[in-house]
Amino acid sequence: MNGTAALALAPLTRARDALYDLAGTMGQMGIVAARIVLRLVHVDLDGRELLRNLYKMGVKSLPIVVVTALFTGAIMVIQAAPIVQRYGAQGLLGWGAGFGTLREIGPLLTALMISGRVGANNTAELGTMTVTEQIDALRALAIDPVAFLVVPRFIAIVATLFFSTLYADALALFGAAYAGDALIGVEPMTFYNGLVSGLLGIGDVMNGLVKSVIFGIMIGLSSCHFGLSVTGGAPGVGRAVNATVVTSAAGIFVVDYLVSFLLG
Amino acid sequence: MIEIQNLSKSFGHPVLCDVSLVVPMGCLYGLIGPGASGKSVLLKMITGLMRPDTGSVSVDGQNVQALTDIELASFRLKFGMLFQNNALFDFMTVADNIAFPLRRMLEVPEAEIRQRVEERLRAVSLGGFGERAPSGLSGGQKKRVGVARATVTRAPIIFYDEPAAGLDPVTSQKIFDLLRDEQRRAKQTVIMVSSDIDRLLTVTDRIGMMYRGSLVFDGTTDEALHSEDARVKQFVHGLTEGPL
Repeated sequence: MNGTAALALAPLTRARDALYDLAGTMGQMGIVAARIVLRLVHVDLDGRELLRNLYKMGVKSLPIVVVTALFTGAIMVIQAAPIVQRYGAQGLLGWGAGFGTLREIGPLLTALMISGRVGANNTAELGTMTVTEQIDALRALAIDPVAFLVVPRFIAIVATLFFSTLYADALALFGAAYAGDALIGVEPMTFYNGLVSGLLGIGDVMNGLVKSVIFGIMIGLSSCHFGLSVTGGAPGVGRAVNATVVTSAAGIFVVDYLVSFLLG
Repeated sequence: MIEIQNLSKSFGHPVLCDVSLVVPMGCLYGLIGPGASGKSVLLKMITGLMRPDTGSVSVDGQNVQALTDIELASFRLKFGMLFQNNALFDFMTVADNIAFPLRRMLEVPEAEIRQRVEERLRAVSLGGFGERAPSGLSGGQKKRVGVARATVTRAPIIFYDEPAAGLDPVTSQKIFDLLRDEQRRAKQTVIMVSSDIDRLLTVTDRIGMMYRGSLVFDGTTDEALHSEDARVKQFVHGLTEGPL
């Protein structure tokens, strides 16, 4: 092949390589998923590690979830304010904020925050353990690193995201109600009536919660996979954390689109 | 007895090339060689942490490559191992690190665990350090905690990867003497990788030298000291002139 042809084909070659990389990553994440499922079937996990991770990932994430959720609700009211005021649709503010928060904004923003805080931290921890031979040390001590480290972290991430989403939904609606009162004079009771007027149902809550579980699985798998496959010392850990954040964020949006499409 | 036959491994470039070696039971075997010559990889192959491309490893008649994951788990109860980077668990205290194999592998009663951990800490001159976090220790102290963890189960086969790295000469000699005394008392089979050749040669029964993935020497400590092989001579005596 001459130089000109190679140059012309370069974008295709890069696209092919990127596709191979993506397929490889998906395959490896599938293997991690299969190993986790196998341990879950046999209830092979470390209880103390699970509790430690639930505390570290779930409880310690509460402040960031509170701040994100309260301001998310308030931002939704600010965006809706011109329309609500122009058409005098104060009674629909509760429904609008509830619909957007429960089905989309609550699970999505909580997942992005948890991905940045918990997913990145999980990859950094597992990656450091990999490069400092702690994973090998576990295996040398006849301890299965997947059962001891990966399964408790995976469960903790999924549980953290599920409960954080529930919490964030409630707080975002609380923030929206009081922002509506403060900014455009919609009383909290009017907001509440709009919320429970019958336009919103349990299906809207479940829609968001199903998404939160799928997002949790996505973050758990990518953060554990990239953490365990670190090579190249400290710079490798940095690359793995970056890969986790990018993959999780991109994956969350793709999965969100698919789930929204399927669940309606 | 550890028996290695024609072991080869490549990570894109060859790391082990046709290595054959026998380590008799109850022997303190010193493995020496320049950096990146395959010593740590060889130790990981013996414990089944890595799979060879070709060749075989057998320990007490058990072919390591033939073991399933479940069999490997029980097979590894035979080993204690000190890693080159110590591999202490960051999220545990020093005492919990040392107690970890006893709690997880052997289910020893808690009172005995505490007593054995204290005894190990005193043996490596770290009495009173049990509640500290590994991150708060110096490199040498971490190494000693690693030695304590590797020996706490009283396993019959122990591998030490650089047990004296980062230690001052006095502590280094104490650690070598301690490991030698324990090896003799418990009749352990020990493979010790160390760059501290002078001290290593005071405790070993046999020496093997790795160079570019190959075992270029295998003999008694005395034979290593008087070897005419230019590579062994240069490395053992720390000469600047030579093929290395």
